[in-house]
Amino acid sequence: MLNINDLEARHKKYKIKSYAPYFVIFASTTIIVVSITSFILYNSKIEADIKEEQKQPVIVQKIEVVSATKEKNETLQEVEQKTVQEEAEPVTAKEDIKAEQKQEKVSLSPSLDFMGKMGSNNQVYYKKEPIGAAQELPKEITIDVKQEEKKQEEKIVPKKVEKAEEVTVNLDKKTPINIARKDEQEDISYVIKRFETNHNPALSLFIAKKYYQLGNYEQAYNYALMTNEINNNIEERWIIFTKSLVKMGKKEKAVETLKKYISHSSSSQAKQLLDEILSGKFK
Amino acid sequence: MKPSIYENSRDVFLDTVNAKDYIQLERVSTIYQSLKDSIEKPLKMVLLYGKPGTGKSMFLSKLHQNLTPSQKVCLYKTPILDENEFFKILAQDLYGISYEGELNFTQFIKVVENKELVGTTIPLILLDEAQLYSTPMMEKIRLLSDTRKVKFVIALHKTEKEDIIAKEHFQTRIWESIKLENASTSELKIYIQKKLMKANCIDTASMFTQKSINLVHKLTDGNYRDVNKLIYTLFDIYVFYANNNPNKINTSEISTKFIEMSAIHTGLIDA
Repeated sequence: MLNINDLEARHKKYKIKSYAPYFVIFASTTIIVVSITSFILYNSKIEADIKEEQKQPVIVQKIEVVSATKEKNETLQEVEQKTVQEEAEPVTAKEDIKAEQKQEKVSLSPSLDFMGKMGSNNQVYYKKEPIGAAQELPKEITIDVKQEEKKQEEKIVPKKVEKAEEVTVNLDKKTPINIARKDEQEDISYVIKRFETNHNPALSLFIAKKYYQLGNYEQAYNYALMTNEINNNIEERWIIFTKSLVKMGKKEKAVETLKKYISHSSSSQAKQLLDEILSGKFK
Repeated sequence: MKPSIYENSRDVFLDTVNAKDYIQLERVSTIYQSLKDSIEKPLKMVLLYGKPGTGKSMFLSKLHQNLTPSQKVCLYKTPILDENEFFKILAQDLYGISYEGELNFTQFIKVVENKELVGTTIPLILLDEAQLYSTPMMEKIRLLSDTRKVKFVIALHKTEKEDIIAKEHFQTRIWESIKLENASTSELKIYIQKKLMKANCIDTASMFTQKSINLVHKLTDGNYRDVNKLIYTLFDIYVFYANNNPNKINTSEISTKFIEMSAIHTGLIDA
């Protein structure tokens, strides 16, 4: 005789067992779907926030870049003028500069060995720089300048001229601090070139930090933004970005940005900075 | 429906080997025909093999029943393991000779060789569960069949031994082997419905929809013995509900729940 009650109970158990895998699959897929959608929404929210942030500055940035280059040219000319003044020579055309160089060549020749040593020392630090050119730099200053003068149409040339000018000034004064500063400038321009070719966020962050150290907060701001376009999860980038904003006098925007960032990530550094900004410690 | 209908339907599926319960299925009838043909051929031995519950015993009993009027046929459903006993029974059944003392193989084969055939037909011996016979015994059966005075149909499970028998001893002999397999879904449907129809249980036969047949096939893998067991239990459950709780019975089709319950009871489902 069949024990139907027992059989029914066993059947119930069997049914629950047989539905369990389906339930597990269903539950896991819903969890996965929900998490993916929330992740996508979260990401799009961040992107929207960042785009909002970027919308205005992007145009400004371009203008700033243009104006910055203009300024650079102006400063170049100023520097030229200054050097000319120091040399007590008439400064009007670049041919005059060439003449100046020739004169300088005579006056500077004793200290060229010293520059060679400095140059080779620095080379160790900047590994990827073409070694030959840099090492030969002191000896070929005049030649470089001549070659560069032939390529006057290019924008980079004035920079190099400026550098050359600076070198001459530095050499005259023989102050190691100025040499260090020159290296940073060269370094930044070199890193900018590298960044333009490979768009590595680490490079743009480096540039932003350098500019920040140099006190060029607008450029620091610009490069922090560029870094953000490539990768928006770098903590340091946010720090530099907000610091630059504060330095540029946009404290409120800095606080707002920082708060947004803190809401997305639990960056202790960002929180600390926010506290400092709010308490007025960081100005 | 009355509980008696379910009782009748249940009893149809009692697992018995009875030639009158034999269900004619297309594939089975083809195999049966080929078996009959190979018996008529001058083959010495025919091997019938397949998994347990594929209908080998049923086949042999059907063959026995059909051939008995026309020729000498002996069916041994259980193996006679004692050699002496085996030959004594064969001598008795084939030639009506009863031996009081011992009858060894040498004596028996002499008897067989000296016997003149009655008519043109060779006596047929059907051995079921032949996997239980020892290898020397099988060798003696082969030697007996070599006399061409007696023919064997051997049914056995497809085991390792079956391979040994087939390969080592009889490979070079004239040897017909027929394999029986489990039922397909369509065969299963015909099997169940024909079985019920035969017992006049038309109502219950019509309750088996394709869905329930598929489930039964899934659970039993088309093994006739398992099918019989499952459906017997299924109708047992129906009998219980018809007596105690008729409201739970859906008379239009077989309940999936009841099939699963009977599968749990028969151990086809591990729950």
